[in-house]
Amino acid sequence: MEISTNDYRVWTEGSTIHYEGTMRLSGTDAYAPILEAMNSILAAKPELITLDLTSLQFLNSSGINLLAKFTIEIRKQPDVGVRVLGSKSIPWQSKSLRNLQRLHPALELTIS
Amino acid sequence: MVEDYGNTAAVNGADARRFDIKLMAEPLELSWHHCGVTSDFIGEYFSRACDGSVDPVDARHSISYMINEILENAIKFRKGGNIDITGSLEGGTFEILIRNLIDAHTAESFKAHLATLLKREPGELLLERIEENALNPDSTGSGLGILTLMSDYEAKLGWSFASGHVSEGVELTTYASLRLS
Repeated sequence: MEISTNDYRVWTEGSTIHYEGTMRLSGTDAYAPILEAMNSILAAKPELITLDLTSLQFLNSSGINLLAKFTIEIRKQPDVGVRVLGSKSIPWQSKSLRNLQRLHPALELTIS
Repeated sequence: MVEDYGNTAAVNGADARRFDIKLMAEPLELSWHHCGVTSDFIGEYFSRACDGSVDPVDARHSISYMINEILENAIKFRKGGNIDITGSLEGGTFEILIRNLIDAHTAESFKAHLATLLKREPGELLLERIEENALNPDSTGSGLGILTLMSDYEAKLGWSFASGHVSEGVELTTYASLRLS
């Protein structure tokens, strides 16, 4: 699966979802196809889902809502683990990703 | 009549480095694009103007994120018309004023929302709002912009509503400032 525009790219490899570029979509509706792709990974109930955000330079608050919503979906399935990979060189990640861990304490967050 | 919510006192003084931009009324899709470009431009401009004690990468991002979130709201909720933006930097504090017109009904519901929001701890409210959004698949907006700015960026925010004749709408000025580090 791959969703690609001039500004961003989201693609999956096994149960890893990669995000790249700048995502400033206009709201929940605009993010819906991406959420759908993420939910299709969750539907297969893998042991571990990895969200690789290390190349996602910018995400607006509607996009943060998308990640939070997906985290809550994973939280409902105790057999599915989740790991979020971030980068210290991308400031929004150190500021906002900890909220995902507050929503779901079992979420493993690595910002390196 | 003017009604203020939050921190509406301008932080930076007459000696601040500043400039103004006016975004013309355009169709939504084009305005949305201008929103990103404008936020990035102002972030880039002011991060290069900071002194050596400020991390330019963090400053560039924080300024850009803050302006983008406030401009997204201005574009979504405006009652036509231009959007005036004034950015300024003084002694490591970046401040932005964004002025646009909204209709009286939008103004009243936004005031009620702010009155509730300003009584609460923003980090706690942010998580509550996320949980509510997850339960309501029909919600179109996330409402997280202001809350992430207050909670994750420690931005100081204020809103001033100036109204005259009802048919003219309400002039909303959003004040936002960040201590850059």
